[in-house]
Amino acid sequence: MKRNRSWFLAAALLTGGLCFAATSSAQVTLEVMNPRGEIAPPKTLGISPRGESLAGKKIVLIDNGKYGASNFLDVLADMIKQKYPTATVVMYPKPAAQTITDLPKWYPTVKQQGDLFVFGVGD
Amino acid sequence: MPGVYFTTTEFLDDAKSAARDRGMPGIRTLALPADKYYVARGSKEVLQPIADQFFDKMLDDLTRPLAPEEAKPSQAQQRHEDANIKVAGKDFVDTSQKVNELFLDNRWADGLPIVPPTPKLVKEMEAGTTLSPQKVIGQVAPKNGTATVEKIAINAVMAGAKPEYFPVILAAMEGFTNKHYDLTHVVASTGSFTPVVIVDGPIAQELNFNSGIGMLGIGWRSNSTVGRALQLSLLNLGQTWPQVNFMGLTGRLEAYTFYTFSEDTAKSPWEPYNVSQGFQAGDSTVTVSSAGNPAVFGGGAVAPWTAQGVIDQMVAQIRNRGVVWPHAQKHIIVLHPDCAVELANKGYTRKSLQEYLYEQTRVPYEKLAKGVSFGEGSEEEFIRVSIADGRIRPDRAQIFLDNLKPGGRVPVVQSPDDFHIVVAGGSPGYDLLFTYPGTNWAHQTVKITAAALTKAGQ
Repeated sequence: MKRNRSWFLAAALLTGGLCFAATSSAQVTLEVMNPRGEIAPPKTLGISPRGESLAGKKIVLIDNGKYGASNFLDVLADMIKQKYPTATVVMYPKPAAQTITDLPKWYPTVKQQGDLFVFGVGD
Repeated sequence: MPGVYFTTTEFLDDAKSAARDRGMPGIRTLALPADKYYVARGSKEVLQPIADQFFDKMLDDLTRPLAPEEAKPSQAQQRHEDANIKVAGKDFVDTSQKVNELFLDNRWADGLPIVPPTPKLVKEMEAGTTLSPQKVIGQVAPKNGTATVEKIAINAVMAGAKPEYFPVILAAMEGFTNKHYDLTHVVASTGSFTPVVIVDGPIAQELNFNSGIGMLGIGWRSNSTVGRALQLSLLNLGQTWPQVNFMGLTGRLEAYTFYTFSEDTAKSPWEPYNVSQGFQAGDSTVTVSSAGNPAVFGGGAVAPWTAQGVIDQMVAQIRNRGVVWPHAQKHIIVLHPDCAVELANKGYTRKSLQEYLYEQTRVPYEKLAKGVSFGEGSEEEFIRVSIADGRIRPDRAQIFLDNLKPGGRVPVVQSPDDFHIVVAGGSPGYDLLFTYPGTNWAHQTVKITAAALTKAGQ
């Protein structure tokens, strides 16, 4: 019963407080609790150093599997080959419908495919 | 490995958020104009001008020397979320309005008014369970916020839940944070999937959950506030926000309370759903699942129907979808009591109905699609890849392999158990088909325990 009274008191702050406020001029302070969960920040890593040019490099184009991504990467592949004839382009699609929890096992395999990567088109 | 990540302008915040979450905030990202890319992406010719616009930027990102902060970024600091906040106003209404504004400004609320979670109310909520306030229920995706009993209680207070409901909420959160429930997909996907929350067993009646007419509607505090408590808990403990890292394109149609209802075990001709999941008769459980918007079948109050007709229409609906994602497709079938009773009178048990659905929805091999949208060629290739990488369970793989040939009939689910049949609704009523066409598993049934204020669920 005591619990019910307390809950309705809280509800009154939202819905019924107007009547009370009309007769009260005192300031009201509420202490409320933070609803967010604590998050342990991950170790922050830097990105990999860059080379001077794509010439002679093996570029891995990663299709994330969403409709149209392969078209966009195909266009980029043609442009890379045209500008850097000595570069090699490798298509390495992300496994379709791969569970997110399994992706950490897949990402390291990208490194075995070449020197640089282009990933797209993310949503 | 040096690289560059392409996204679109609508997903840039999402990409940055994910990069921070995974400890690489400096990853070089290029955002294609969303208003141009999505309409152009079907054609290389139409995409060419967009690629022209970004090609030099891509080359620059792949070759430009690193700035010091990119090479050695400062470490992210732990944000502590444990301090209480004092809010002052000229009167009760003013103060409560300020609390609401503060919470919404901080992205801690959902846009509807919340009950201010004062320490006193939170303590009373915690009294609904015998569990310690500091007990960790799980980590909530996508940011892996720690869900303690106390943090869930804060969100339950905000939602307007009664302390008696708290054990149901805790059990549901246990399900959402189970490692076999892919919460990231459910809370972040563009598909706008909605959790389905089904309360089963004696606690449903004791807490007055609605399983009859209007079971998905308003007016029942237990349905509404348990669903909302879960929605707020996922929002705050996983730290999601629309257009930042919850990218549901339409948003959920049941955004505030999810699809939360109870099974009508009294009118069901079959054993309770939770018994079919391996629990004991008399156990109180909550099932957390996920689905798109349901398809509606039957005649309701206005048209004739037959139970067999309803089932066969569902079969047709499922078959029309083809065999997309057979490794994960799942259906929740909610039959209104009259329909379930008619099926039982025709001799169906829940199990035989599952088997009927499994057999009838199989798709002829010749009708498998030659191309699927997720990049693995034909559906046959897709299924074979899913078998190879374990997404189709080894104990079910041979059935698929045996049918990937002319004359074969390919299942649309991994097993008959992927049809979850629940009885709820009015008399007259409609029948609902919830489908989860996503790529991952998202279905857990959890026993409700440690209840302090109800007879059931102790």
